[in-house]
Amino acid sequence: MGFSSDPRARFNLEQVSILLLEETPLGMSILVQIMNGFGARKLHRCDTSAKAESVVRETQLDLLIVDAMASGGGYDFVHWLRSSGIRPNCYAPVLLTAAHTPAAAVTNARDCGAHIVMAKPLTPKAVLDRIIWVARAGRRFVESDKFVGPDRRFKEAGVPENVGVGRRREDAIPGKG
Amino acid sequence: MSESSKIHVPDVPLGRLIRMPGGKTAGQAIADAEQGLASLQGESMKELNRVLAKAETFYARADGKFDALVVSAFYGLINGAIGLPTAGKDRAIDAMLLSLADLLDYYRTSGDWGDKSVQVHLATFQLLLKTEGIRDPQGTELILAGLKKVSRKAAKG
Repeated sequence: MGFSSDPRARFNLEQVSILLLEETPLGMSILVQIMNGFGARKLHRCDTSAKAESVVRETQLDLLIVDAMASGGGYDFVHWLRSSGIRPNCYAPVLLTAAHTPAAAVTNARDCGAHIVMAKPLTPKAVLDRIIWVARAGRRFVESDKFVGPDRRFKEAGVPENVGVGRRREDAIPGKG
Repeated sequence: MSESSKIHVPDVPLGRLIRMPGGKTAGQAIADAEQGLASLQGESMKELNRVLAKAETFYARADGKFDALVVSAFYGLINGAIGLPTAGKDRAIDAMLLSLADLLDYYRTSGDWGDKSVQVHLATFQLLLKTEGIRDPQGTELILAGLKKVSRKAAKG
């Protein structure tokens, strides 16, 4: 799965309508500074899931960047979005940001219906690479009783060679992923 | 495939919009974003000092033993702070916060409490904040490697 963007490549976020869901003021400032730096102008800032749901109902969105939030409310919001039937927003690309993902929430993070989960700390390059990746057309969408979201099936290529041990405590235990 | 599932390719405007004329190069966009983040450095440091003070309060309230409410609130505090230091270019503090969050998550699910393990993280937090901008990189790496060992040792019990 290649994420890297060519520094010379041009892109335009000026007309892209973006919802940002982040509950901490400084966390929101970080996202806004990154998106403003990218040239994005249509930002819908939400500090609660309820506000985000309201924006989804009233505004056509092209991209959502949603924080998992300590309560896990971000996963619930994405799950709600995908199941809402509010077209076309229910199909919009979603980047989920997460600080520490508690063991109990790993499955939820995987299954909520986000296109990509980005681990914090965020860097501008990582965010941009992922926006460009989700912008590529042709991503299949699965709608079933148990899951609504982008098709998660990728070629099983394993972890790239230069990626070290993960940061979860289980990652250091032999035999576990 | 069951009757209640379908696979389709929805129309996603993002791809078309992002290719419209104008905009920026990726290199310029990243540089502009990093400049914007640099403007948050002062605020970020102030917030991290507040987080440390609050963390020390939670540690004192735990009083050497597991308290579900305290650990849960402590975890939420630390989890919410992850990412703030790197906005100010301080990855070492983020690495420490991640280690502490991992440790606290283990405690809140297991009901255990390791007073010394938490204490060493908070001492490191204090040290890193005080030495921001003047740290020895090798020494810092050794300290962070030590913290990871503390977290993993706690998880193994």
